[in-house]
Amino acid sequence: MALYNFKRIQPIPAANDFLDIVLSKTQRKTPTVIHKNYKIGRIRQFYMRKVKFTQDSFDEKLNAIIEDFPKLDDIHPFYSDLMNVLYDKDHYKLALGQINMARHLIDQVAKEYIRLLKFGDSLYRCKQLKKAALGRMATIMKRQKDSLAYLEQVRQHLGRLPSIDPNTRTLLICGYPNVGKSSFMNKITRADVDVQPYAFTTKSLFVGHMDYKYLRWQVIDTPGILDRSLEQMNTIEMQSVTALAHLRACILFFMDLSEQCGYSVTEQITLYQNVKPLFVNKPTFIVINKIDAKRPEDIPLEEQAMLKEISEKDDVQIVQLSCHTDEGLMDVRNLACDKLLADRVDFKLRGSKINDVINKIHLAEPVARDDIPRPPHIPESAKNRPRFDINDPKRPKLERDLEAEGGGPGVYSVDLKKKYELGKVDWKYDIIPEVMNGKNVADFIDPDIEEKLDALEREEERLEAKGNYDSEENMIDSEEEEMNKVAEAIREKKKLIIQAHRASKMMKNRPIMPRTAIKRVSRISIDEMEEKLGKLGLDTNVIRARSRTRKRIRSESVGDEIVRDSLSVTRNASTSRDPSSSKLNIKQKKESEKQKKLAQRKPNLHAKVGESDRSIKSKKPKHLYSSKSSIGKRDWR
Amino acid sequence: MAIRAQFENSNEIGVFSRLTNSYCLVAIGGSENFYSVFESELNDIVPVIHTSIAGTRIIGRLTAGNKKGLLVPNTTTDQELQHLRNSLPDSVQIQRIEERLSALGNVIACNDYVALVHPDIDRETQEIIRDVLDVEVFTQTIAGNVLVGSYCAISNQGGLVHPRTTIQDQDELSSLLQVPLVAGTINRGSDVIGAGIVVNDWCAFAGLDTTATELSVVESIFKLHDAQPTAIVKELKESLVDTYG
Repeated sequence: MALYNFKRIQPIPAANDFLDIVLSKTQRKTPTVIHKNYKIGRIRQFYMRKVKFTQDSFDEKLNAIIEDFPKLDDIHPFYSDLMNVLYDKDHYKLALGQINMARHLIDQVAKEYIRLLKFGDSLYRCKQLKKAALGRMATIMKRQKDSLAYLEQVRQHLGRLPSIDPNTRTLLICGYPNVGKSSFMNKITRADVDVQPYAFTTKSLFVGHMDYKYLRWQVIDTPGILDRSLEQMNTIEMQSVTALAHLRACILFFMDLSEQCGYSVTEQITLYQNVKPLFVNKPTFIVINKIDAKRPEDIPLEEQAMLKEISEKDDVQIVQLSCHTDEGLMDVRNLACDKLLADRVDFKLRGSKINDVINKIHLAEPVARDDIPRPPHIPESAKNRPRFDINDPKRPKLERDLEAEGGGPGVYSVDLKKKYELGKVDWKYDIIPEVMNGKNVADFIDPDIEEKLDALEREEERLEAKGNYDSEENMIDSEEEEMNKVAEAIREKKKLIIQAHRASKMMKNRPIMPRTAIKRVSRISIDEMEEKLGKLGLDTNVIRARSRTRKRIRSESVGDEIVRDSLSVTRNASTSRDPSSSKLNIKQKKESEKQKKLAQRKPNLHAKVGESDRSIKSKKPKHLYSSKSSIGKRDWR
Repeated sequence: MAIRAQFENSNEIGVFSRLTNSYCLVAIGGSENFYSVFESELNDIVPVIHTSIAGTRIIGRLTAGNKKGLLVPNTTTDQELQHLRNSLPDSVQIQRIEERLSALGNVIACNDYVALVHPDIDRETQEIIRDVLDVEVFTQTIAGNVLVGSYCAISNQGGLVHPRTTIQDQDELSSLLQVPLVAGTINRGSDVIGAGIVVNDWCAFAGLDTTATELSVVESIFKLHDAQPTAIVKELKESLVDTYG
């Protein structure tokens, strides 16, 4: 039933409102401040975002409309035909198609203008492009005015359609106008359909529900149909025909023999003959209504014969009732329901789904496995207890009544001890401590728990004294001690091995070399190397020196010329690399000296210590702040 | 007599109550409406007792019991145990069980003579069930579900089992329990029968969503109101085929 809930379709605004909604959303949800001095990329971004956002909002809204409305090809044929009758299939599809087209066009426009915006070279141009884009989208939307209005009307009507479940158990009432279809509906359900003494009081399908055989039944009241060809029928009649054609229901064809409805019996029979093709494979009844006015026995013989003929030829049962006097009403209903149910059950039993049901209609009866009787326990008081009646003023007071008197839920606190079954009544509210002398009272609830514990302890002692536990343990000892010793020795050994390994591996503040590498090195000792290089006639001192521990060279012991020189110079001036060591001649030396001075002139002027000195000595140099010149006169500060 | 009830907007009333032939346990809720549904039917016949188990309201899932005894999980507090002892008649034994599967209501399904239990339940626990409830114990599954207590409801008169139980399983279970069985649903198609219905030999309470068809199956299979289980294969058959098919 939830499958066909058309009430959930969202309302569709008129074209102008639609525009307002979307444009104001764009205004609200996108940034609004832009300045012509911003970078052009940012300006383009700003307007592109607006265009894109508007397109997205349109897209979302239009998509929702297309998704919400049922697709005629997907829904049950009854509903698709009914919608065809009520709203005209072509019109409906066209309207949805146009909405879809509008969506595509809007997408195209947005795409186009976003491309153009990428080349916008000023704020003004970008703004004009955005304006043009939104304007074109608005124009497209305005053209959908009629479609939107139509769809809104369809939505409103769809929402008010009765929720007919096309697959459930249904009784379908049909016949000429004014033969008493709606009266019957009102009698057997609580639908409360309007009944008036003129034709076409019922202008659409109505649904009522009733219960029979633990099941829920759907009764559909259809508008009256006149005897004419399908092309001539109006919308009201076509709804009836749609229901008749598509619902697998029990058909009750109503007839009025008294001719109070304004149609002769012959006409009614002709109508039956004409709509008969719609009844094939459905349980059908001809219901003679208004028998309080005229019974079938009272009508002319030839008409009686006609009735009898159709009932025999088509195997249709003729039943009688009177909505006025209620005569035969329930019989007809039950008969119709039973026949429909039998028909449906028969259909289902033939289907493949029956395997799922078969265990639910199987009653597993027990096979006796012994001869122990297992009778139910029903107390005598339960057997002849009067039924509880909530309206009886003398009924026993329930906890709920006490609650209502005591202030209602949340205020009333239920008395849990009220119904205690103890030795004496006044024990009920005795307070029992939970903990006493540091012991949980519940642990001592058993009156002879101490005795039991004593007995257990005595038994334990007795067993111990008897040596019940010792002997077993001794036996285990002799075997196990041996094993334990060995295991201990193994563990000790293992521990030592691990320790030795760790010690050898420990970091001694030097890189660890892989063992393989160490071997290779040791293979060629330094002596061998020295010897080999010596044979080749190379100086081996350096190699030997590298492997020897280096000592700091004491200056006194060195008889070097340079050192002696430097010692004689005063230490307070730092010296550059000794010029005597370079291989420059006098002329070059002079030149380089000159260059050095030149290079140092500027840093010296600024009192720089060296190349790396970047400090600014005076933040506000006097000459820049002391003259009369005002701000903005000179740009070379 | 089958009655529809709801516990604080929940249809799973079997979670919040435990009904046997000699007592009825009801969870302590926000109001007394649920309690009074039981009280109105069972007052003066058996004690209807407000209780919590381990401080929770899901007492129907945590306890198991029948006419002769009540089993509670080891999480039950001493005070709750004391309260139950004071409220229950002396003929009912109460036993707190040290069992790993502590939701006893889910793992034990029993009437006054037979109990079906979860296959993984301890041997010691089975022993205790046998002694305290005075029943024969069988380890079983229902439609492939190990939680036997959740997927069936049994009384001394009949039983309702998981809707996907095969006919062979039904026959086998029926022979074990020695009561007629039928597969069905409760609460408009729910398969957790044990949670949707509580039943004893003369009355049943089902969730408020239970349909008329489901309720009539319940009345027939549990022989309430002089109904007979044979009605399921006779008068009710058509309705059942049409609703489930």
